Amino acid sequence: MNILKGAIAGYGPRKNVVLGLVRLASTSSSGASSSSVKDTAITEDEMSHFNALASSWWDVDGPQRILHKMNLLRMDFIHTTIREHLQLNEPNTPVEDEIYVPAYGLELLPKPIRNRIISEQENKRDEILGKSKLKALDVGCGGGILTESLARLSFIHSVKGIDLSSDVLQAAKVHQLKDPQLTKLQYELKAIEDLPSNQQYDIITMFEMLEHVTYPAKVLEEALSRVKVGGWVFISTINRDFVSWFTTILMGEHLLNIVPVGTHTLDKYINQTEIKDWIESDSDRSEKYKVVRAEGCIYLPAYGWKFTENPNVGNYFMAIQRKK
Amino acid sequence: MLFKRLLATAAKSVQGPVLQDVVIIGGGPAGLSLLAALKSSSITRNLKCTLVEGSSLEGIREFADSPPEEYTNRVVSLTPKSVEFMQSKIGNWEFMNQDRIKFYNNIIAYDSQDRTSRIVFDGSAIEAGFLAVMAENVNIQSSLLQRISQLKEEGVDSTILDNTKVLSIGSALKEAEAASESTNIMSENVATASDWPIVNLSDGSSIQTRLLVGADGFNSPVRKYAGIQSRGWAYDRFGVVATVKLQYEDYRSIGWQRFLTTGPLAILPLTEDNATIVWSSTPELSEILIACDEQIFPELVNAAMTLDEVSLNFIYAKLKKNPNDFSVLDDIPWRQSRLKVNDLEENYPLPVTEVVPGSRARFPLKLSHADTYTSARIALVGDAAHTVHPLAGQGLNMGQGDVQALVEAIEKGVTRGMDIGSTLVLEPYTSNQWPGNHVLMGVCDKLHKIFSTDWYPIVFLRGFGMKNLNMLDFVKDMMIKNISGR
Ligand SMILES: Cc1cc2nc3c(=O)[nH]c(=O)nc-3n(C[C@H](O)[C@H](O)[C@H](O)COP(=O)(O)OP(=O)(O)OC[C@H]3O[C@@H](n4cnc5c(N)ncnc54)[C@H](O)[C@@H]3O)c2cc1C
Ligand SMILES: C[S@@+](CC[C@H](N)C(=O)[O-])C[C@H]1O[C@@H](n2cnc3c(N)ncnc32)[C@H](O)[C@@H]1O
Repeated sequence: MNILKGAIAGYGPRKNVVLGLVRLASTSSSGASSSSVKDTAITEDEMSHFNALASSWWDVDGPQRILHKMNLLRMDFIHTTIREHLQLNEPNTPVEDEIYVPAYGLELLPKPIRNRIISEQENKRDEILGKSKLKALDVGCGGGILTESLARLSFIHSVKGIDLSSDVLQAAKVHQLKDPQLTKLQYELKAIEDLPSNQQYDIITMFEMLEHVTYPAKVLEEALSRVKVGGWVFISTINRDFVSWFTTILMGEHLLNIVPVGTHTLDKYINQTEIKDWIESDSDRSEKYKVVRAEGCIYLPAYGWKFTENPNVGNYFMAIQRKK
Repeated sequence: MLFKRLLATAAKSVQGPVLQDVVIIGGGPAGLSLLAALKSSSITRNLKCTLVEGSSLEGIREFADSPPEEYTNRVVSLTPKSVEFMQSKIGNWEFMNQDRIKFYNNIIAYDSQDRTSRIVFDGSAIEAGFLAVMAENVNIQSSLLQRISQLKEEGVDSTILDNTKVLSIGSALKEAEAASESTNIMSENVATASDWPIVNLSDGSSIQTRLLVGADGFNSPVRKYAGIQSRGWAYDRFGVVATVKLQYEDYRSIGWQRFLTTGPLAILPLTEDNATIVWSSTPELSEILIACDEQIFPELVNAAMTLDEVSLNFIYAKLKKNPNDFSVLDDIPWRQSRLKVNDLEENYPLPVTEVVPGSRARFPLKLSHADTYTSARIALVGDAAHTVHPLAGQGLNMGQGDVQALVEAIEKGVTRGMDIGSTLVLEPYTSNQWPGNHVLMGVCDKLHKIFSTDWYPIVFLRGFGMKNLNMLDFVKDMMIKNISGR
């Protein structure tokens, strides 16, 4: 009972985080200064926060309701992104077998032709997805809301969920056992950098997680290095309204050197454009990876989550594809 | 450490009964439609589905190869929207016995207390090209069973258990909760126990299911298990149905409805010289309608379609004393003779000459609506969710709308990798379907109230309204919309 109460109380301010209404300021000197902590680590108070949430993680009407609701929209995001970017024609497909992909906008074509092209393309997509067997990794999987959903998709071969909070992972495992369908799913208490770097994935997801880590760029880098060519990294997090620290943290030592101890009350939110800039800032990175889609989203109490016009405000989803 | 133990018990709890994704209770039109629709959708067809029906479906299976000569008495009118759903989504329409369905385009509604008031619905303006189509319940159910068999032949499997009653429904979670309540100790089982409903069947088996759908009619055991309230009231009225023969085939394809003070009487066209009647009446009158001789009944229908209320009451009174008082067979034509012949021919239905023996049945009319159609791992469709007055012939069509909306919600859930028993998946079904049904039920209820009274001011208004269609336009609009499902 106490655990539950603590969880709800502890969740209070973070509800706002998810809503993107209030900027979460967090002192994270511990992670930065202590060498015993993982590079991609979560801070201790964050950890105990998530531990406390474990018992109520799967109550869809409980403290995680907003996350549960968000999952509907992000599954749409993942599904449609993968679907839209399927390669409809393998290289060297004979012209007569090729699915017609017009060079210009479909809207310009007469309706019957357009409909035929669309339905042909959709059938081809079903066919390709029907044969696909994708390997997925969910980083910071928490109680497994997204992890379970991925594991139920027919085109997913297997899913690994990793997290650094043992309690939420236990909650995830208990919940997994309640559904006999969840056989493609496996949880591990691990930091991403501790996964063998030769373990490559088609899909790596990091939802509502980057804003909790000390070195987001490091985590992202670890993720990008583990995605197969053609594969995807999907993330969601929250834009910050001011002070950029994402890139500066990357050069952590520099920053720590110039900022007097105790003054670095860091805002952990990461602007959408910062991730794009970060990828483009490095020629090797920008050759290999591309931000294919970024979409803002907002929570409307009576409705749930919906996409917005602007990925630069509030929460956003992002899809990064590995090109080479 | 605690969690280790929890894991062990949770693992145990998923063994035992047969596991399914969807169990549908009820093999009526709603339940069979849902099974066929789920199996027809490329997104949901891999779900493991079982349908349980308490009675035998043998008669329905036989209907495909050897339909009875006469029409059965459960005949419904389907809207273009329902037909479209059956054609394009469920795929059962092609299995309907096409010789036993009747498209019609016009409804003429008129009043027993005011000769001059009349509403004519002309369906030719409707996009679908027809206003409604009459079909037997058994024809619809048979076509659904055939569609389900066809899918099986194509490798899309499902199970139908008929002659199998649901004895009880429970869940491991409910048991664990009850146990912890009685011992006052928070049992750790509560955290791990599965909330999947377990359905215990009369053949001794049990099924544990991700989603339990109640398509189990008005008294829905599933609704009771879920603790969902259903609110409503019984009208002090009975519906009497019968299959009848007309003097000859009526090529006009008109549905006739006359508003009597005791309730509306409808004669709806079937193929050839057949027609079906639905007569909403007082308990007292309904008893007469069931008890009277097979020779008297057709004349009674003719009388109720043509004579004034005073004459009708005179005849009812005679029959109340003796349901086999054959003297009414002389009274009725004599009283009708006061009407002009060409008026009778043009403005009234063809005379009924016979009632098909054994086709008369009566049932109480009620209106009720469940507070919600969904809760965790539960969905209600069809009469389990709502029962309406048959005035506008909407019951079965509302069920088709439910099935369509529920399948859409489940499809979305599957595409998103959700647990389809979760309220996150099911809630949109309630929020899409419930408000529309509620409005429709309100309209049926109001129509009933407007049209079954003899309180003078209302009769006056009603007559006035019928003559001045502007005033009753809303009623007409509603009726057209309701009848054709637009
Ligand atoms: C006389 C009459 C005329 C009507 N006219 C029209 C009309 O013109 N137009 C229209 O649209 N609608 C009409 N309706 C309404 C329509 O028939 C019903 O709405 C429709 O049949 C409801 O279908 P359903 O599948 O929801 O329920 P039902 O047909 O009631 O099916 C429920 C099934 O569940 C089964 N069941 C129940 N409990 C259990 C259990 N414990 N275990 C196993 N099985 C169980 C029952 O055996 C039954 O087969 C009319 C209804 C009546 C009675
Ligand atoms: C808000 S929850 C989101 C959970 C899940 N991704 C979802 O969206 O449903 C954030 C999770 O990230 C985990 N986390 C934070 N930092 C992490 C890190 N460096 N490595 C792995 N997991 C981390 C936390 O333990 C917590 O479970």
